Amino acid sequence: MSRRIVIAVVLGAVVALWAAFEISVWFDQRMAYESPLRGAEAEATPREQGILDERHDLEQRNEALPYEEAEYRAFPKVGSRVAVWVLAQLHLLFAAFVLAVPIFALIIEYIGYKTGDKRYDKLAYEFTKLLSTSFSFTASFGAFLLFMLIALYPKLMNYLGNVFTPTFLPYVALFFFEALFLYSYYYGWGKFSPRVHLFLGLMLNLVGTAIMFIANAWLTFMMSPAGISKTGALISTWEAVTNYTWMPINIHRIIANVAFGGSVAAAYAAFRYLQSEKAADRAHFDWMGYIGNFVAISAFLPLPFAGYWLASEIYAYNQTLGIQMMGGAFSWLFIIQAVLIGNLFLAANWYLWMGMGRIAGAERYQKFIKYLLVVITLCYIVWATPRSVLATVSEVRAMGGSTHPMLGYLGVMSAKNTAVNILILTTYVSFLLYRRSGKIATVPWARAGNLVQFLIFAGSAGIVIFYGVYGYFVPAEVRIGFSIPQVMSVLLAMVLVTILDVFLFRNAKKVGETNWGQMPALSQYLLIFIAISFTWLMGLMGYVRSGLRQHWHVYGVVQDTSPDAFTPTLGFATQVVSVTVLIFFAFIGIVFWLASLSGKQGWEPKGARRGAAPPEGAADLAPSRARVSSP
Amino acid sequence: MKIPVPVKVAALVVLTTLFYTYVGQLVPQKEVPAPEAIKIKQDATPAELAALGEEIVNGKGLCMTCHTGVRAPKLDGIAASAGNRVPGMSAFDYLVQSLYEPDAFIVGGFGDTQMPKLDEPPMNLTDDEIRALVAWLQAQGGTPTITMDTPIGAEAAGAPPAAAPGGTEG
Repeated sequence: MSRRIVIAVVLGAVVALWAAFEISVWFDQRMAYESPLRGAEAEATPREQGILDERHDLEQRNEALPYEEAEYRAFPKVGSRVAVWVLAQLHLLFAAFVLAVPIFALIIEYIGYKTGDKRYDKLAYEFTKLLSTSFSFTASFGAFLLFMLIALYPKLMNYLGNVFTPTFLPYVALFFFEALFLYSYYYGWGKFSPRVHLFLGLMLNLVGTAIMFIANAWLTFMMSPAGISKTGALISTWEAVTNYTWMPINIHRIIANVAFGGSVAAAYAAFRYLQSEKAADRAHFDWMGYIGNFVAISAFLPLPFAGYWLASEIYAYNQTLGIQMMGGAFSWLFIIQAVLIGNLFLAANWYLWMGMGRIAGAERYQKFIKYLLVVITLCYIVWATPRSVLATVSEVRAMGGSTHPMLGYLGVMSAKNTAVNILILTTYVSFLLYRRSGKIATVPWARAGNLVQFLIFAGSAGIVIFYGVYGYFVPAEVRIGFSIPQVMSVLLAMVLVTILDVFLFRNAKKVGETNWGQMPALSQYLLIFIAISFTWLMGLMGYVRSGLRQHWHVYGVVQDTSPDAFTPTLGFATQVVSVTVLIFFAFIGIVFWLASLSGKQGWEPKGARRGAAPPEGAADLAPSRARVSSP
Repeated sequence: MKIPVPVKVAALVVLTTLFYTYVGQLVPQKEVPAPEAIKIKQDATPAELAALGEEIVNGKGLCMTCHTGVRAPKLDGIAASAGNRVPGMSAFDYLVQSLYEPDAFIVGGFGDTQMPKLDEPPMNLTDDEIRALVAWLQAQGGTPTITMDTPIGAEAAGAPPAAAPGGTEG
């Protein structure tokens, strides 16, 4: 569209808006009631006078009233809770992304520094490009959330302010430092010595983590308050900060943020891959997507273990809270979670298997894929099987209860813990096969090494299945403890096999190169699907963590007496989560678009495109443009 | 016609989100109201109290989340067995104690259950509501005898021991 048409359209729109406003004012005046007996000397109609009198009466009544602190204020249409819920989730999603990307960008940059491979440096910079806009969105949503909380929940905010006042100043100070380190890390790329730049990245990570720890203190206090008397009076802010669930949430969030950030960064790479026309660009973004997904899944594998710890701390703090989570109002939420996590595992494995197609010499491992798929599918089915099934009255009578006589056995924790541990092991095997594609071990103990690795896997799977089956024959309190050896055996197996594999494939013979940029489009949509699923999962688990308090703002201390004190249906909660996810992706689309602008060719004036010389002074005003138009 | 990549990606975002929303509609939909204090008339009969107690047991009391025999003992026939739990303690006193001081006595075979004190947050039941619960417990294998005049909890503290209302043994 030409510039003249754009200006004409904008001017036309302004004139149309002004005209519409004038017409509406005129129409309003015409529609106002006018007394037929109104004389020319009358200042106001009886109606106008009535309105003025009413207003005057109201002012007088209000003047007579004493000032009262508002407990709640209402938000139109959707209500205060949904408004704050959506804003808090959007703020957290952007905050998670902004905290996660510097973690793996720094690691990748460090690898580049140590190996001298410039590709890693370029990749780390590509990830960092996503940060500046995201940081602004995080701060904007954070401010928006704070204003909404103060406006809609003044009494609660007053209480939290009393408890946490000493944390506010450090939080703000750290935020300034965060801005300083983030922008110096981004804009200082290539401007400092590598060590100074790495130091800036390290400081960015430390400051970001400290900010998250402070914010986590506020929200975990609401779930597991500490440092206060029975009536809620503050005894110790430090105890309020270091409450029962603070550290488990800190750890859980760091890991989850990395998983989420990796997946969104991979989605960005996939988006750019799908739009790239040059082979070099496709190769770069294919590699970036692979690394992003690798980061996401590597963090995702230990995430359930951090989740166990958090859940056990919730139980330890207050068993009623724990039971509400797993056996009460929120128990069905974990079936939705199972569908999400099952999809994530399936998509992640599928992407890896497709990735093996771009490595020459990977054919020998592809025969294992069908077995891995069978195991993953079975685990997915077990995990998504509910304890109680939705059934008609006659079906319930036929079953002798709401639990299916056979499938009901798959609905208990013994089966689910077993399924998720095997799922993690299987995904790790997919990673291992991918890693080995195109390589042949040359060390003399290769055969023995492979055998030991196989035995470690078999031993770990055996331990997981043994405790899974044994769990059916012991009381609940004994069974709960079985998750620990199951988890530990899987973690240990992954660590031992990785260490062995590093030595096994040292100086390995290369039988084929990885042809980056040779992935089908479907694989890139899988990466985007993984990012959407991660985002949705974050929203869902954010809801359960916060919703668990039910009709308490601060559990057992400050009760929610607002009209929103009820716990909504899971169907409604998932609708709110979905709306949040859609808004987030609309904003992250802007982030992607802005990040992609940096790689685009500069704007050229029309004359320059036709071969004319750039306008005088162009070099001073816009050096990049002048550079592009120069021969 | 070639569909632009951003349109395809947007469609994927919307469809995936719709799918998960749909999954969310498939699970049981239960809205949990915020508990409200139940007003009990002063002349409520023990049977009326027991009926209100049943409402609390299945509602705001959350009793049946645990008292299924797995985490905590079943409550069937508790009126009959309550008198045998603690030597020298009447069934009535035992039932009242188990609501105000749940950890004072743990039934064999069950670990430290951390059942909350019902008169304190987060449960926050009133003494009248706890009377209704006691009436319901007395009705499990017995006949409820407690009335609104029976002192329990803080009211009973310092007062002479409540006259054993009897009848809990069936």
